[in-house]
Amino acid sequence: MITGSESAVKLMGVAKQYADVVAVDYVDLDVKKGEIFGLLGPNGSGKSTLLKMILGLVKPDSGSVNVLGIKAEGNPVAIKAQAGYVPEVPRLYEFLTGIEYLDFTADLYGVSPLEKKERINEYLEALELEGREGDMISAYSLGMKQKTALISAFVHKPKLLLLDEPLSGLDPRSARIIKDLLRELTSKGVTTIMSTHILEIAQAMCDRIAIMYEGRLLAIGNMEELREKARLPGSNLEEIFLTLTGTSDIRDVVEALMK
Amino acid sequence: MKWKKVLRLISVDIKSGRLIRGQRLRRYRESRVLQYVMYGGSCLLGIALGLLVGTLYNGITDPEMKVSLLLSAKSLFISTPTLVFTYSLILTMMRQIQSAGIKASIQPPYWLPITWGEHTLAAILANLIGIQLAVLISIVSAISVVSIFLGEIPLAALTVFALLAIAFLASATTEIFRVLQVRLTGAVYKTSGKAAIWVRFFGSILLFIAFYAVYFFFTSGTNFLAIIEALASGQKTVWFIPYLWLGMTLFYFMNGQIVETVVFSLGSVAFLSALFAVAVKLNSRFGLYEPPAIRISIGAYAPRPSMWGRLGFSLSEAAIMRKDFNAFTRRRELMYFFVLPIVITIMYLIPLTGTPYFQALSIFSALILLVPGALMALMLGSMIVGQEGAPVWHLYSSPVTAESLVKCKYAFVVIFSCAVTLACSTVGILIIRPSLRTIFAALIESIFLIVSLSAVSLRAGIKGASFVEIPRPRMIRPMESIINFIICFILAGVVLAPLIPYAGTMMGLLQPLPQFYLYIALAISGAIAAILTYGFYKIAVKNAEDFLTEAEI
Repeated sequence: MITGSESAVKLMGVAKQYADVVAVDYVDLDVKKGEIFGLLGPNGSGKSTLLKMILGLVKPDSGSVNVLGIKAEGNPVAIKAQAGYVPEVPRLYEFLTGIEYLDFTADLYGVSPLEKKERINEYLEALELEGREGDMISAYSLGMKQKTALISAFVHKPKLLLLDEPLSGLDPRSARIIKDLLRELTSKGVTTIMSTHILEIAQAMCDRIAIMYEGRLLAIGNMEELREKARLPGSNLEEIFLTLTGTSDIRDVVEALMK
Repeated sequence: MKWKKVLRLISVDIKSGRLIRGQRLRRYRESRVLQYVMYGGSCLLGIALGLLVGTLYNGITDPEMKVSLLLSAKSLFISTPTLVFTYSLILTMMRQIQSAGIKASIQPPYWLPITWGEHTLAAILANLIGIQLAVLISIVSAISVVSIFLGEIPLAALTVFALLAIAFLASATTEIFRVLQVRLTGAVYKTSGKAAIWVRFFGSILLFIAFYAVYFFFTSGTNFLAIIEALASGQKTVWFIPYLWLGMTLFYFMNGQIVETVVFSLGSVAFLSALFAVAVKLNSRFGLYEPPAIRISIGAYAPRPSMWGRLGFSLSEAAIMRKDFNAFTRRRELMYFFVLPIVITIMYLIPLTGTPYFQALSIFSALILLVPGALMALMLGSMIVGQEGAPVWHLYSSPVTAESLVKCKYAFVVIFSCAVTLACSTVGILIIRPSLRTIFAALIESIFLIVSLSAVSLRAGIKGASFVEIPRPRMIRPMESIINFIICFILAGVVLAPLIPYAGTMMGLLQPLPQFYLYIALAISGAIAAILTYGFYKIAVKNAEDFLTEAEI
């Protein structure tokens, strides 16, 4: 659901190179407020770097990044205060308990004690972490760690969510809760940019999708626009993705392996 | 038992040493020559030592001296198994502690067709590889060569067998301790809840101090000959300890008592087999046991007002300080850093107490008040940012400013270092009983050093922060750490410089100074410390700005 035409995130001619590797190759992107925006692409296509650049964690070599009306360059704290971020592999402070960790992150964002108590308890109950919040994170399963990281991104009511593989490791119930929650948040004007490899989720959840390959944006738009771009009417996102990224030689690969 | 599988498992364990050494290999094969060079070198060293001793022995013409030397050599032969057992036990346990500290560890590959017997045998043998094996090879080579000169080849051959067996015994004992420790840890976690944190904290400190005490005892060298003599003559009286049976086998063999030799050698074989069987049994029961989570808080979540908040720190600053405090009481690798300055100082000063010159040189009493806090500020300041490790993304992605980051980290280092000074001073004052003037001057100077060195080290800690976690948290880049140490050493000298004349009078090297000189010296020292603190704090803030904008993720 897109609530307006105002940009939440605007990237113009953004590029980033690590030694000989081009991570992001002159990308232009305009994500509207209240939109769930999906970033798709094979491993190493530049999705995570793009998310980090939006949050000011990676400085672009060229181009400009504008987030929630704030220029990212030189003013990252103001952007960070309004954003919630979950990295691809969220490494948490394992020596803290779940509740200590959430208390810590809420304090980093300056959430008042009353508010954080209410919100943290609500999320713990919803994501079935109640009863385990007093355990040290080192003993948590992958899914529990992911849930904890997601709660820490939601707890300060951010205006922008940057989620790198948000549903990885989650059980079906929790995944459904997060999906519905993201929908609810977009209806309240929260913008979500998520990167994922699960194409069914992207197709079902995202208002618009961008397909990245070797640092470039190959296609951008809603499902209909992507089908047009790939010239595959009525097809699903998987077929579009494989066609656009030139990786549709699946049958040949399987046959070679079977030999 | 399939030996090929055991050998494969051992080779995997050897390769896991790459993690400990932090190697990053790109090639599939390693150079075998380099792999075995340490053992070859040890063998050559042992042979050279044996040749040297043998040649010297042959060169002696006095028959009485020759007999006396032969008896000493025999005493050495029969006491070596117990000595080798002691050092093998210490080294294998140290290796286990080292392995436990690294992030990536080798789990028993339970999904592969390997029996617990094969896994246990491989673990025991692999634990001996490295320095332990190299030392053993040296001793065995030296004994073999010397025995030819002494004409004691049968005794030497038996000694060599005994040494190999006792090293295995030591490693098997370590393996049993390891499995039991994991199980015991689990039991403690399960029953003691929040107290488990403190059990682990004090347990780790005690373990650390115990190993240092044993290490100093063995490396001091003063009691080595006494130990050998005591072992050679005293083994017989404690015959019921199975770990000594191999030494006793040699003793009876040397005296020509065949029945006792056979009895104790069979007893040793039985004990070795029993120990291995126990290790296999324990591994099959608890080898895959994972200690349960430490449950720290029970009941509904109720945020409490922070103590740091009342001291003028913002919500985010207080949160970082609380988190760092938890890190220092819960992370094993940080606990060691915490106790290191205290242990080093105490270990340095304790041997000096009681010596006549110690009382005369009251400068030593000032050291126990000065050094631990300053050393803590130096170490803590340089690693307080790097200890964040991989979760440092929280600092990068949250709205923490450079000023806030430096403020809370600096305050934490100063407060922790002051606490260490307080603890060490209390102990030092009770043991050494220095004069009131010395206590006053040393404590004030200690604060000056802590305040200034914290800022100096924090600057380096931010600039050289390393978040590498494998094989173990590095925290600061080595070069930055060395440079910081040198800078801190020089600047500590600068801060303390005004007090040099006063120290000179304490040591009796200079004429007594007027009473007011101490206060003037302290004031100058304080001014130097304040200037250094201000300058380096500002540089630390600048470094933190760069650090937060050039995220290493």
